[in-house]
Amino acid sequence: GIPVRTTLDNSTTVQYAGLLHQLTTKARSAVRDLDPQNDLTFLRIRSKKHEIMVAPDKEYLLIVVQNPCE
Amino acid sequence: AAPRSFPWEPAERALGARRAAAPLAAMFADGTAPGADVRSVWRSARSARCEAKSCQTARISTAEAAAQSHTSRDAGVQTDHSKDAAQDFQQEARVDYAGLLSFLQKVEDAVIKELNKNWKSRAFDGFEVNWTDQNETVLCLHTLSYAEARDQNLQVTSVSWNATGSVVACSYGRLDDGDWSTEKSYCCRVNHRNCNSEFSPEHPTAFLPSVCLCASAGRSWFGTWLHSHAVPAGKGTTGCQARVGICDSALGVSPWCLGQVNWLPEAKHRTHCRLLSVSTDGKILVWREERDGRLVLAEGFAVVAQQIPRSTQLKKFARGDAAVGVTSLSFSPFDPRVFVVGVEGGFCLKCSTAAETLAPHRPGSSVPLRAPAELAFSPHGGPVYSVSCSPFHNLFLSCGTDGQVHLHSMLQTQPLISLQLSKKYLFCVRWSPVRPLVFAAASGEGNVCFIGDVHLFDFEKSSQKPAVSLKQAARDRPVYCLEFNLKHTRLLAAGDATGTVRVWQLSSDFTEQGPRERSRLEQLANEIPD
Repeated sequence: GIPVRTTLDNSTTVQYAGLLHQLTTKARSAVRDLDPQNDLTFLRIRSKKHEIMVAPDKEYLLIVVQNPCE
Repeated sequence: AAPRSFPWEPAERALGARRAAAPLAAMFADGTAPGADVRSVWRSARSARCEAKSCQTARISTAEAAAQSHTSRDAGVQTDHSKDAAQDFQQEARVDYAGLLSFLQKVEDAVIKELNKNWKSRAFDGFEVNWTDQNETVLCLHTLSYAEARDQNLQVTSVSWNATGSVVACSYGRLDDGDWSTEKSYCCRVNHRNCNSEFSPEHPTAFLPSVCLCASAGRSWFGTWLHSHAVPAGKGTTGCQARVGICDSALGVSPWCLGQVNWLPEAKHRTHCRLLSVSTDGKILVWREERDGRLVLAEGFAVVAQQIPRSTQLKKFARGDAAVGVTSLSFSPFDPRVFVVGVEGGFCLKCSTAAETLAPHRPGSSVPLRAPAELAFSPHGGPVYSVSCSPFHNLFLSCGTDGQVHLHSMLQTQPLISLQLSKKYLFCVRWSPVRPLVFAAASGEGNVCFIGDVHLFDFEKSSQKPAVSLKQAARDRPVYCLEFNLKHTRLLAAGDATGTVRVWQLSSDFTEQGPRERSRLEQLANEIPD
């Protein structure tokens, strides 16, 4: 995906956009393969250091990275 | 005379023929005999048996099975500055902003709800996933020694890994004598994957006394202690490729000790590195490699007593122009021009390669030396043997002969934390490359019950006691040097006074970052010392 607006630096943004776009597509196809009437609404990836949330759409993706404070 | 058909006719018959046929002919007459003719058997036999198996000129029938033509597209271009991303942004002037706005409005509520839920949620507290097998123990993988060096009772003065983390190299010499020795010493390399506890000496050098060494990117450079020669070794050769007298005619003859030799990555050419040497006459020199393998002095710095920025806590120095011996150096990973040096006088200096002021002129130096010192930190009780900059924050550690380790922030002169690790000298301290709160220290001998050990400290667990102590040498001999392996982060190499190098494999506690270590390190850095 091509970044349109960002609050991070350029190189990180491009990296996130490319990787998460592919992952979202794969997740969506997994959901639809399991049940063709179903579709992906939200994707959350939790890692050791932070949580990445992706809101998908037909043309756009919104990617948010959050540090959960424990 | 009738020609004789067979020259081996019985003599009587021949004689008789001759007599009967030509009474006038001489006794011996010319005659030619046809050669013996033997029919060739092999040729016909061979041609009878052989058949054409393959003909090189026969036509091979081919058929097109598939044709593959590919299209290629540039995925990315790798340059120093990625201007591509910026261009991406500019191209999107044709984005449909109305569509973008409606998307954002649609999605905003859901995302904000998730964000709020998330930062209050306790669903994942204490949840951890083990991706790799946890290894709980610290093992000594290899114990390496070199027989000849052992016979001479040489000690390991410095140990180093190469850039890919597969080869460990060490240098032998003597550190316990007060005097400079002129014994033969060695530098050895071994690939730790297929070694069998014996070093193969790459360069048993003939006359150079004890050496300090650094190895990087497949090539090794060995600097010597006494005559300040740097002897580089190319990969795989058994001879010296170039030899440079650092204190020869380039700078005037002055036999000072080299403390440490480091690689300095050059800003312009990533593949070329420059060599940095540090010596006890206060000179920090940067060497460039010429085409034929020689080293040429590129630039230099000199630390002189009168040019050190004073602060009120430091004592006055005896002579203003005296050279201040530099024992160790470490570059800051955040700013490539800033480095920290440890000095024999017991304090550390923050220096910059961009310094402009010139040092007092020394006779015979070919390159103008500059004074790099910017800030002097508060001193130890004795000479500083080792400094190490943290790869995660602008902190650094220094250790010296007073047995203390000071954790300094680059911004203030007072240490953040002082740890009294032992009553003896501490020879080397290094930050762990993966865990921001862990460092390792190598301690020396003495007459208290601390054995020569490598201590691993973890600021998270306890800041007073070592988390793990690795017993390196058998008989209370000090450990002089240690290095973490930057590529295979579980390995740690340490060399000691008995002439052995041990490669330790650390447990997974020391190789995996915890979730909040960086923030804890920042907290540590921001605490104001009282």
